[in-house]
Amino acid sequence: MIAPHVLNRALMILLICVAILWLVIPFTMAVLWSLVDPALPWTPDNLLPPVISTYRWSYMWENSLLKPALLNSYTLAPLAALLTFAISMPTAFAIGRYDFRGKETVKLIALLPLVVPSFVTAIFFTSILYQIGLAQYRFAAILFAHIVLFLPYAIRIMSVSFEQVRIDHINAARDLGAAPWAVFRAAYWPALKPGVLAALLIVFIKSVEEFAIAYIVGQPGFVTVPTLVYSSLGQDFNRPNAAVLSLILAVPNVVLMLFLERLLKSANPAMASGKG
Amino acid sequence: MTRPSPWFISILLLPGIGLIVVFIGAVIYIAIAQSVGFYNLTGDSGFSMEFWEKLIGRKSYWTAVRYSLFIGFWAAVLSVAVAYPLALWLRKPFKGSLTVSAILKAPLMIHGIVAAFLFLNIISYNGLVNQLLVWTGLFDEPHRLQNDSGAVGLLFLQVWKNMPFALLLLTGAVQSIPQDTLNAAQDLGAGTIERFRRIIAPLTVSAMQAALIIVFIDALADFTFQTTVGPTNRQSLSQYMEFFRGRGRWNEAAGVGVTLMALSLIGAVLMALAARLIFRERPIARVVAWYETRRVEART
Repeated sequence: MIAPHVLNRALMILLICVAILWLVIPFTMAVLWSLVDPALPWTPDNLLPPVISTYRWSYMWENSLLKPALLNSYTLAPLAALLTFAISMPTAFAIGRYDFRGKETVKLIALLPLVVPSFVTAIFFTSILYQIGLAQYRFAAILFAHIVLFLPYAIRIMSVSFEQVRIDHINAARDLGAAPWAVFRAAYWPALKPGVLAALLIVFIKSVEEFAIAYIVGQPGFVTVPTLVYSSLGQDFNRPNAAVLSLILAVPNVVLMLFLERLLKSANPAMASGKG
Repeated sequence: MTRPSPWFISILLLPGIGLIVVFIGAVIYIAIAQSVGFYNLTGDSGFSMEFWEKLIGRKSYWTAVRYSLFIGFWAAVLSVAVAYPLALWLRKPFKGSLTVSAILKAPLMIHGIVAAFLFLNIISYNGLVNQLLVWTGLFDEPHRLQNDSGAVGLLFLQVWKNMPFALLLLTGAVQSIPQDTLNAAQDLGAGTIERFRRIIAPLTVSAMQAALIIVFIDALADFTFQTTVGPTNRQSLSQYMEFFRGRGRWNEAAGVGVTLMALSLIGAVLMALAARLIFRERPIARVVAWYETRRVEART
């Protein structure tokens, strides 16, 4: 019989090897490919690219749709985050602070946008836009769809936060003669704060990453970072260019996700952030 | 908690839940209506089963249905099957367990399209996998691994992306199993598989169901992985739907969309039922019953 700690150690070493294959090598390859100089291509007989250059990065910055894509993605995301948050608040307040008939049903309905396949939502939302003649307002349409699609996350996070506001804190503040705003600051805000940040952040990340709506509703001509990366993997697949775009999409979001993970831990350890 | 008037609650729920109901309701309604000939963007509208008849008569429709079900089923089963042992391993914290779980969950943070690119990079003709296989002598020369017709690459990527999610759900469930129950089973002589089948799986069946359903729906409706790393001789349902839409054939696209929603629902229910039937609940009663038979056996 192998001692458990020896087994654990062996498993750890195995896992680290797998993780290297799983994450480190693919990402290193992407970084290396993004640094390949077009004049000296990276051939299979070389372990590393012969020359490292930032040519691809400046080339993609100047000559691709990267600038409009970044502008679109990073305008959509904060707007979606703020609006989703604002719209989710009354619902989250009701779920978190009151007991009412049909509460479980309401919670289930709130999950609907996550259950309907995103391509079905995207395609038939476009159909509706055509029917009512609003198909040309692509930015607004995508923003609207993002708000509805990511409401479940904001509602869930904020209703848990509202549940954590303690009634004795509210009563104590009121008994001490605090005005409504002071009650909010003393009793509500400390419990809500991590949830507010987490809700804003998760909608922001989800919106930056969202593909189906942006791809279908945005056709033709409206690009976001994910749709641009997707098209770079298509017909005119150019590995170094795709590597640059992939890193631009992946890296900021990984950093934000790590930050979110911390926030959620401080907000509520039992709560999963949902699917990336 | 207090019970306020239903009106007050309705007003509070209106902006959030109301918006969700109207939006998703409209999307589902339009999909169903267009599949039976209403709301045509060009030409006359009116009830007609013509589009369904056409769709059902097509071989490519059934290929897409079978193929998407295949991907959905195996992505769900494999993701859960890989996640279970890992969740059990991480059940009790040990030195480095946080790092391990962070590494395992990292794919959750990586966008699907980026994952597809990373994967394409590794399995390309002159990529690492080919070079390694040639170097070890398993291949005489590099093979074309991209877009393999058996969808092995696609399933690998699905598991890569979805396993961490299943792990997230299962870790919580597995951690809540009382140690006493596991000890009791072990004392009774249950081996690893027996303990999993009789104790762990039945006690965590709801997390298992949730993981199966969510991964199934996600993989069934997959578009990006299919169009980047999937087989080129078959279409997934999402791809098939987008194919019709791209040609302005909205009614047929709607038929495929309705099929996709129906299959998500039916498949999810069946998977949940299957998990429950295979790993029936009442584990404690089973342990006791089992213990009794063992005792009788020992006596005789």
